[in-house]
Amino acid sequence: METLQYIIRKLITGIPLLLGVTFISFMLMVYFGPDKTYELLGKNATQEQIDEIRHQLGYDQPFFIRYADYLKELVTLDFGHSDSTGEPVSGLLGRTMPISLALIIPGFVLGNLIAIILALTAAYHRGSWVDRLIMGFSVVGMSISFLIVIIAFQILLSSSYGLNLFPVRGWNMSTFGNYLSYVTVPTLATVFVSLGYNTRFYRAVIVEEMTRDHVRTARAFGVPPARLFYKNILKNCMIPIITRVIFSIPLVVISGSLLIESYFGIPGVGKVTFDAITTGDQPVLKAVVGMTAVLFVMAQLVTDILYRAVDPRVTLK
Amino acid sequence: MSSDQQPLLRVRDLVVEFNTEAGVARAIDGVSFDIYPNETVGLVGESGCGKTVTGLSILGLIPSPPGKIVQGSIEFMGRDLVSLPEEELRNIRGSEISMIFQEPMTALNPVFTIENQMTDVLTRHQGLTRRQAGKAAIEMLDKVGIPIPEQRIKEYPHQLSGGMRQRVMIAMALSCGPKLLVADEPTTALDVTTQAQVLEQISLLQDEFHMAVILVTHDLGVVAETCDRGIVMYCGNIIESADINSLFNHPRHPYTEGLLNSIPRLREKKVDQLPIIPGRVPDLFHLPEGCRYGDRCNRVTDQCRQTAPLLQSVTEHTAVSCFHPVTQTSG
Repeated sequence: METLQYIIRKLITGIPLLLGVTFISFMLMVYFGPDKTYELLGKNATQEQIDEIRHQLGYDQPFFIRYADYLKELVTLDFGHSDSTGEPVSGLLGRTMPISLALIIPGFVLGNLIAIILALTAAYHRGSWVDRLIMGFSVVGMSISFLIVIIAFQILLSSSYGLNLFPVRGWNMSTFGNYLSYVTVPTLATVFVSLGYNTRFYRAVIVEEMTRDHVRTARAFGVPPARLFYKNILKNCMIPIITRVIFSIPLVVISGSLLIESYFGIPGVGKVTFDAITTGDQPVLKAVVGMTAVLFVMAQLVTDILYRAVDPRVTLK
Repeated sequence: MSSDQQPLLRVRDLVVEFNTEAGVARAIDGVSFDIYPNETVGLVGESGCGKTVTGLSILGLIPSPPGKIVQGSIEFMGRDLVSLPEEELRNIRGSEISMIFQEPMTALNPVFTIENQMTDVLTRHQGLTRRQAGKAAIEMLDKVGIPIPEQRIKEYPHQLSGGMRQRVMIAMALSCGPKLLVADEPTTALDVTTQAQVLEQISLLQDEFHMAVILVTHDLGVVAETCDRGIVMYCGNIIESADINSLFNHPRHPYTEGLLNSIPRLREKKVDQLPIIPGRVPDLFHLPEGCRYGDRCNRVTDQCRQTAPLLQSVTEHTAVSCFHPVTQTSG
């Protein structure tokens, strides 16, 4: 009951945030964005045609009415049709979102899980060669550009110069086997790139927790080192870990897959967004920006509730 | 206390060093003492004198790196804790030797219930089931004077007051019936009334459990009230060791005397200024030659500046490391 009340309260306080984000993005992308009149009509349009199309596009309406229309679109999830393909925007996103999720989730989960395990290992052996080896690889992973990593993995795994085991480009989820063959290389690239940053962050969190008094107490009561890590330390580290994981989700879903999708020719949300930006496809952009804002508010809500689950000192108020 | 008993703990020539950026700091330099069953010994000194490090080394809890026991032995009931493998040491920690810490606010894990933390210790050391351990934990909490322990045990540390938390720590420390309790400034973070209650609780339970207590503190008042013997440390050395009456009524080392003189007293005539010990504690990287207290001592001679005095027995239970010990109380 307390949690439900909290969720409702939090959703209400999320409204100003949503309004702010949508307002700014509306102003930058739509109000001051490209004027599509001539794009649609060509050079030799008559004044009547111009007025007609501007009316259709809503350009003749005052600023706040146009903004209100955008909000209405957000609430009803009806963003109209894409300028470039004519496909309904909701259909377009509905088609591409599952692809992006299927593409990104394995790399995201593995990238965080492996990083936590590596960070625990490094922290446990802190100062020894194991620690230095792991942290050395992290720095290497962080220092190599994502593009180089993608290309290197493509050459090593998907070309005749390398092992030639996987397709270079494209996407197919019709069977699980197909899915695996298309998702493996992008996943490996994502894991390789995110591992460095994640491991460094998680190790810092864990090492800091290790210096706490309660860890010394646990040792003074004979807790064995392995248990000390997975019980006493890990649960105390959950707040920064949760924050990092949840807050990277909206970014990963919308923009994180952009590079991957364009390099592997995968028709996901990232690709759609990228195309929409380059062609000025406003209905699509409005949808993507709005949904990102909503995702962030949801992420905030979820983190707050999870905080409560891992730390009894947090009250949902 | 009596010398016909075998000592429970025998510390010999203990040397602990810390590797710091400024060099190697010798936090404890050749400390030796005995603890007998059932007695309470106060380990006294200013901050940085090595008293806490001494307490931590008994349980092998010195943060390592940077700290390291480089020399000496800590013999507990016939076993040398310094050379004991980590696994065997773990079996001793919290069961035969327990430790309680200064900050009850941070010493307990904030994200687990009291029950979880207490039963963890009991199931590990006593081989109890969770249910049995829960019952034993409630009994223990009742013993340390926590009202409605069945309810309190379900709570998290932040829901308890400082005094309650320290009681929980004590309950946890005593739950496996240790032979020795190392209490590192257990009352420093508490207000004075709570302090007295907690100390009383410790000595009450000490009689019940027949355990020895090492009370690490800078508070001479606490030592006078609760201890049978006092060990005074200065700059990583023991400079005086005596039973409580002679330590307070007849201090032999000038430093002990100085410490006692600087305690404010209510009943005596008001003084304009409390006597203080001149100078500062030398830092561990720039220790003076000879006696470490020499630069601050009013009885210093050339002999003190050249050679360091060793801890020498004066009577059966008293020892002092000074060439010119105080022979009469001057205060």
